[in-house]
Amino acid sequence: MVTPMMTSIRNKVREQQRLTREEGLWLLRNAELLDTAALANEVRYRWNPERRVTFVIDTNPNYSNVCTIDCIFCAFYRHPGDAGEYTHSVDHMIAKFQEAADRGVTTVLLQGGVNPRLPFSYYLELVERTVKEVPRVQPHFFSTSEILVMTEVSGLSLAQVLQRLWDAGMRTIPGGGAEILSDRVKKKISSKKGTSADWLRVMREAHGIGFKTTATMMYGHLETDEDVIEHLDVVRNLQEEYHGFTAFVPWSFKPGNTPLEKIIPHYATPTRYLQMIALARVFLDNMPHIQASWFSEGKKVGQIALHFGADDFGGTLQEENVHAAANFVNTTNTEECIRLIHESGFAAAQRTTLYDILTVHEIPAEAA
Amino acid sequence: MNAMLRDTTLLPIWEKIQRGERLTLEDGLTLYRTGDVIGLGKMAHEVQKARSGDAVYFVLNQKIEHTNVCVLSCKFCDFAAKKGDARAYEMTSAEILARISPDIKEVHITGGMPPDWPWERYLDIVETIHRHLPDADVKAFTAVEIDFFHRKFRLSVEEILRQLKAAGVRTMPGGGAEIFSERVRKELFPQKIGAREWLAVHKAAHRLGIPTNSTMLYGHIETLEERLVHMITLREAQDETGGFLTFIPLAFQPGETGIKPRHRFTSAVDDLRTIAVSRLMLDNIPHIKAYWVMLTEEVAAVALNFGADDMDGTVGGEKIAHDAGALSPHALKKEQIVRIIRDAGKIPVERDVYYNPLILHADHVVGKIPYLNSIPFYAHLVVPDAKILPVVPRRMGMLSAKGMMDAGLFSLMDYLAQEDRLEPLGFGLASRDQIKSVMLFSKEGWQGLEGKRIGIMDDTATSVQLLRILLENRYHVHAVLDRLHGGVNDLRDFDAVLLIGDEALTRNKCGLPGFDLVYDLACEWYTWQKLPFVFAVWAVQRHLDAERKAALRNAIESALEAGESDFVSIAGAHGRRIGLTDTETHEYLAGFNFRLGEREWDSVHAFRALQGPELARVRELNAASAKPETRNP
Repeated sequence: MVTPMMTSIRNKVREQQRLTREEGLWLLRNAELLDTAALANEVRYRWNPERRVTFVIDTNPNYSNVCTIDCIFCAFYRHPGDAGEYTHSVDHMIAKFQEAADRGVTTVLLQGGVNPRLPFSYYLELVERTVKEVPRVQPHFFSTSEILVMTEVSGLSLAQVLQRLWDAGMRTIPGGGAEILSDRVKKKISSKKGTSADWLRVMREAHGIGFKTTATMMYGHLETDEDVIEHLDVVRNLQEEYHGFTAFVPWSFKPGNTPLEKIIPHYATPTRYLQMIALARVFLDNMPHIQASWFSEGKKVGQIALHFGADDFGGTLQEENVHAAANFVNTTNTEECIRLIHESGFAAAQRTTLYDILTVHEIPAEAA
Repeated sequence: MNAMLRDTTLLPIWEKIQRGERLTLEDGLTLYRTGDVIGLGKMAHEVQKARSGDAVYFVLNQKIEHTNVCVLSCKFCDFAAKKGDARAYEMTSAEILARISPDIKEVHITGGMPPDWPWERYLDIVETIHRHLPDADVKAFTAVEIDFFHRKFRLSVEEILRQLKAAGVRTMPGGGAEIFSERVRKELFPQKIGAREWLAVHKAAHRLGIPTNSTMLYGHIETLEERLVHMITLREAQDETGGFLTFIPLAFQPGETGIKPRHRFTSAVDDLRTIAVSRLMLDNIPHIKAYWVMLTEEVAAVALNFGADDMDGTVGGEKIAHDAGALSPHALKKEQIVRIIRDAGKIPVERDVYYNPLILHADHVVGKIPYLNSIPFYAHLVVPDAKILPVVPRRMGMLSAKGMMDAGLFSLMDYLAQEDRLEPLGFGLASRDQIKSVMLFSKEGWQGLEGKRIGIMDDTATSVQLLRILLENRYHVHAVLDRLHGGVNDLRDFDAVLLIGDEALTRNKCGLPGFDLVYDLACEWYTWQKLPFVFAVWAVQRHLDAERKAALRNAIESALEAGESDFVSIAGAHGRRIGLTDTETHEYLAGFNFRLGEREWDSVHAFRALQGPELARVRELNAASAKPETRNP
């Protein structure tokens, strides 16, 4: 049964008109899953016409687990002085990156902890030495919260901090920490992590300098449907200013070992995830890529998401500690990553952080 | 819909489906190979909705594996052990009984094939469960086991099945079909029965009134062609006997199972394609099951939008798949299944062993009569903020009595039995003169039926009551009305049969051998009372708010206006499936009045005035079914 609303939304998508928030909300609440998926594929193949899915060989280490902002959805952090806290030296990290580069890693996604005891020079040294000593990897470092703590410890302005990181050789910033860009929700789940405005301010400033970043969304906790639409709308609006986002990456909240587990015992169902992927692809008409996370939702759901508007399979994640702390562990390697993409019916293309294609692995004849 | 398909090679196939035409093996290959997985899923989902509405079925079930001792050594099985192995076990009836929790509705029994058990031991397991747990129905023994009993105990397959049925077996699982290919059988399980024997057992069960499941094991060394041949073979068997309830694609579980060529889990996309293709190919099997134990909970959840309307159940005690390293948690809790089904946009329907709905875990459900005569109401019906459940009239009455149904097209008897809580909406199904959908097929004329047995179905109470009134009040004849247990396959003990809905239409056209006299009961009523007969009344629960009632009335009105304008385009495919030409479908539907006016209500009052104790009996039945601990027949 095709409703008039669906017909009108479909026509707008075909004519490349922007959907309103009300239309986005209608899709999220009323549309059949596969109807949204069909729309998503219209947009997906407009942005990325080839039947191919990209991936990056990356690693996701942490230089410190010390953190002072107490997000109730996190099972990774330790307070300063807690048992099990650690902060690695720059030498230690560089050695890690060397090892990773030897294994074929091209992107290092590095994050803390938000550790106020570290001086700004620590971060700059990490960037400079990576660029100089491990030129095979691209530094994709630091969440917005860490960048904000750098302004505190250095006394520099946000623009100055970002400019120094740029001068040190950083060109991209990961988009984590956005959670849900609704202050109503943010106050409940991460009151000390800053407001939506903080995340957006750092991103806007970074994009202005020339950084490329991703945008993320963590759903499946205390947010409403309206909050999801709010989040997508804010991201879409910021993208209009500098087109600094490369990709949008939604994932579901993982309750294991977190204070929020008492309220939200399950993680959201795959149906919800696929709705998010497809809705994001339709709504974010100015976003080049939508990333499916085999890592956060499981390999099978990751594979399915490639038919719901996602054109990127994320990274191989040689090392990952945050989800692991919530008892949610998925491991893969390059070979498996390529196979999972092939099995879904797509050529697999290895990319850089900036989505430049390095190698294309066509589907082998026997698997087709 | 056409606009949703990116792959234009899917279009002619979709058009065939809409015309009610059967898909060929080549169509199946096109479906399997399309890059437009969403378009394929969408087609399957449309077919799923036409059959099952928004329902997704599950059952509180438990698996019993009475022993793992097995005389076979199949390459893909990690479960079997030899007698004397350290991990070999054999359970007694008492041990089995102790393992079954009291809320279980379906006990699924399969196991190894031990060399030394006597036949009575199997019967005793079934009888013990049946006797001690009246709320649990037994689904027992795969065709492989039945064939083993047949050879070991030197009893015919029919005799084995008859004794099992008498002991309490209600349905049979579909395992052991593997894949209907001699090439694969010789390679992977040469000791197991082949397609011919598997099908013979299932057809025999169907003829004895034991419905069964069907399965296909895929993702090992089989080709796509072999999968499609398997589906087509099942489809042909179903044409013959009609006894398959569901089809279950079983994703092969790698592990230490000794099959070398494929040692990985199937891909999620292959799983979804298989669900969707099977829904489209198997046009005569009611349900497609997303068996989460093998698919994983995640893929099963997505499959509910790709053609699957059955999520199996809570599966306490599953062993076979887990021994080969399946990914799923050992037993999904009921709450979790309900959450997954709801999130998929569906109604979680807790069912019994025959797929009768027992409990609906949803608010705002509108009942849909699955017969041809109701299509003008439902083809275009969109009720805002409500979900649609196809259900036979009698069950709709029971669910309404339990407060689980907002509204629906109620059988007249069910409406009358609940007049205090149901408010009529002005629509219904009334005859103009002849109607051909409540038919008595008889060996005798009316007067000759004195003291004879008439077979009836329990789908609806109204037609039975109409028959009773005609017999007693018009013809003054007393006959014995008795339920048809084996369907129309077994009519030996009857002198007449009352058929309704699609079954009546089909039989009216092709005849029922031996029952040469055919009476149209609506026509009988008309010539007697000079009033149209009212079969069904659209009604809504009185306690709902006015806004919801108005929305419903408007939705029905606009759906009916659209539906009435072209009967053939909305119902032609359904008619062809039950053997009617488009002209016959049109004439049949044109014979109904879908709006209830003064004469129709006069007829309802006349019918009510003729009620004996029957109305009270329907009320009692509903009250009984409303008690959660009561077993549903």
